[in-house]
Amino acid sequence: MSARGTLAELLWAEKYRPRSLREMVNQEEVVKRLQVFVKERNMPHLLFAGPPGTGKTTAAHALAHDLYGEDYRLYMLELNASDERGIDVIRTKVKEFARSKLPANVPFKIVLLDEADNMTADAQQALRRLMEMYVDVTRFILIANYPSKIIEPIQSRCAVFRFTQLKKEDVVARLKWICNNEKVACDDRGLEAIYEVSEGDMRKAINVLQAAAALGEVNVSNVYKVVGLATPAEIRALLKSALFEGDFLKARENLRKLMVTYGLSGVDIIRQLHREIFSSEVSVPEEIRVEIANYLGEIQFRLVEGADDEIQLSALLARLVLLGKLLRQQPQARPTKVK
Amino acid sequence: MSQERRVPWVIKYRPSKVADVVNQEEAKKVFLSWLDSWLRGKPEKKAALLYGPPGSGKTSLVEAAAKEYKLELLEMNASDYRRSSDIERIAVASSRGASLVGARGKIILLDEVDGISATADLGALDAILDLINKTAHPVVLIANDPWDPKLRELREACLPVEFKRLTKTEIRKILQSICKNERLECEDEALGFIAERAEGDLRSAINDLEALGEGFGRVTYALARTVLGYRNRELDSFEVVRRILMSKYAWQARAAASQTDLAPDELIQWINENVPRQAVDPEDLWRAYESLSKADIYMARIVKSGSWDMLAYASDMMTAGVALAIRNPQYKFKWVKYGFPERIRMMAKTREVRQIRDDLAKVIAQHLKCSTAVAKSEVIPVLRVIFESNPEYAARLVLGLGLSDSMIRYLSEKNADKIVKRVGELRAELRKALLEGLEGPARKGVGRAEAPSKKPTERKGAKGPGGLENFFKK
Repeated sequence: MSARGTLAELLWAEKYRPRSLREMVNQEEVVKRLQVFVKERNMPHLLFAGPPGTGKTTAAHALAHDLYGEDYRLYMLELNASDERGIDVIRTKVKEFARSKLPANVPFKIVLLDEADNMTADAQQALRRLMEMYVDVTRFILIANYPSKIIEPIQSRCAVFRFTQLKKEDVVARLKWICNNEKVACDDRGLEAIYEVSEGDMRKAINVLQAAAALGEVNVSNVYKVVGLATPAEIRALLKSALFEGDFLKARENLRKLMVTYGLSGVDIIRQLHREIFSSEVSVPEEIRVEIANYLGEIQFRLVEGADDEIQLSALLARLVLLGKLLRQQPQARPTKVK
Repeated sequence: MSQERRVPWVIKYRPSKVADVVNQEEAKKVFLSWLDSWLRGKPEKKAALLYGPPGSGKTSLVEAAAKEYKLELLEMNASDYRRSSDIERIAVASSRGASLVGARGKIILLDEVDGISATADLGALDAILDLINKTAHPVVLIANDPWDPKLRELREACLPVEFKRLTKTEIRKILQSICKNERLECEDEALGFIAERAEGDLRSAINDLEALGEGFGRVTYALARTVLGYRNRELDSFEVVRRILMSKYAWQARAAASQTDLAPDELIQWINENVPRQAVDPEDLWRAYESLSKADIYMARIVKSGSWDMLAYASDMMTAGVALAIRNPQYKFKWVKYGFPERIRMMAKTREVRQIRDDLAKVIAQHLKCSTAVAKSEVIPVLRVIFESNPEYAARLVLGLGLSDSMIRYLSEKNADKIVKRVGELRAELRKALLEGLEGPARKGVGRAEAPSKKPTERKGAKGPGGLENFFKK
């Protein structure tokens, strides 16, 4: 390890990402089948589907690594469809790469499209044609959380690999292994807490682990401290002013801060609110939690349909202000303050 | 133009005689005969309510009359109505026969009474009624909209005097005479444009003329169009939204919306900005947002499907739907200050910090092979925790990820200086280690966990191989 290696530090989610299929500790079935492709130096188009943080992107890179060696990136075009989702990218970048001449030493090139379920329908149609036209020199690996958002003709041209949710013991074992490597003190309850808060998402879990370690050691209290600190104060402030103080304008100010300065999308904010609503620190009658969750679901659906973040979330705030007022009018169900 | 007398033209050209107040012959007749009856000591009503559109000469007429009749003018306007005690003080003063200084009579003028809030200025309306009962001097009330429900009692206690909207021709005539007096070069077409735009409001027309005359030294049609046209649009947006939100009928709201050149996606932002200011009642606000968010959904569908003929429905929901949702009469017609859509302003103000954030997200996305959206929502918050709580470790991450100073500041304002300094030290250490050539050719990239065998046993200038526990010591 160079001096740079000890002086500089990386995010552990990158540092401990398996480089080769051999290092992958989960998804045994998938890995076994992928290793067959490596052995035969041939593969169909692939579609990796499954929840976030289950190893889809890692498997794709590891596969390419095992096929082409350390410099595998020379033969692979990576695109994240959430960032480059339009049809133009498909027609220019992808098409150019897909039809370029095959280097002599490799059987085919790879186009890796991460978060492909965020691609527009037009872009998917364009993609489908490329997949057919250049199949002799280029194979596609598509990665998606929701394979149902990939159009049927593409699905039918791919071998589909389902990545399953990671088991608790697997995640905890991996986190422990990292702690040992980093010589960080940890206890099992702390690691289990990480699994809980990251909902089986390995990338999230490792991020939380690293931050907890930065606080000193990995124990339950530090894990929850990280989660608390990582939740913008504006989320709670927004709930407080809307639900408990009935101050719509103040709540909206917090909403705008979250969107503009933190760069959170409406859906991000809804997810965080959802977590907050069910936390013990927001004390409202149980049926109100459910009612708010119901409305959060409705608003998220509208956003997915393409509605405006601020207007829809303002509608949510207006709803919260009204709910809060009704609650204050019924003394038996009086809400108490957010801590 | 004279340099020494910098009085606004609206004051400079205010009518000094009753005769100079134009085109309000009927109002003048009613008002003056009421004033005469006061001076003779037997008024039928003790107060007069002058009402009509802004800039039609209501205040001017009272001032000119006071001058001609040599009466002292005791004036109050909306900002003075905050406390009923202020009004009572005036009431006490006016209940005495004559003022202490000299034996002059008085006119008590209460301007902008429709600006009184029925709730916030508690007691102000009662205090005015009381004043009218006790007064020994003529009381004049002025309002734009006398039909406001909260003014009902006042209305009944006063003699109504209606002012008409000025016509374009009259306004134009007055503008011409001002130009002549100011020796201002004016195009007839320009004056026509100003008069048209004023919509019967002489005050705003004179202000516009002054803005052009003082600013440019001449008044041409082209100037009027470019300079005033712009301001007009902004003024219009506030007015249009106000009219929409205060509409009682669907047709009113729709008609108001048809008078704007804002595109539907702009109009919905204007309404979104201002609806919570008007719809204070939580139930009204909720209903209004149910409608506005529906309009927004329709807009999204229109964009998605390209069916622009569905725009009518989106429009109805954002105008009539919202207007009819606001029902509580306490707030529906209350005059509140509106704002420019804050989101647009915020985007402009935060451009720099958003750029830093987006660059940071790109760096992280590259390292973690994820989208920038995931970097923003999942990774940056965690990084922020590290930067806020452990500057030493943060400095090492800065080195590993290659973050800029502004990114450091974005992640932790409070520790930024400390981290930047530490990064400098670490860089120096790194250079030293490389220069001393202790490790042969410098490797690109950073150490990886799967290569522990490459760990050298000794190192100068760097921390011992003790691992991270060193870093975590505070």
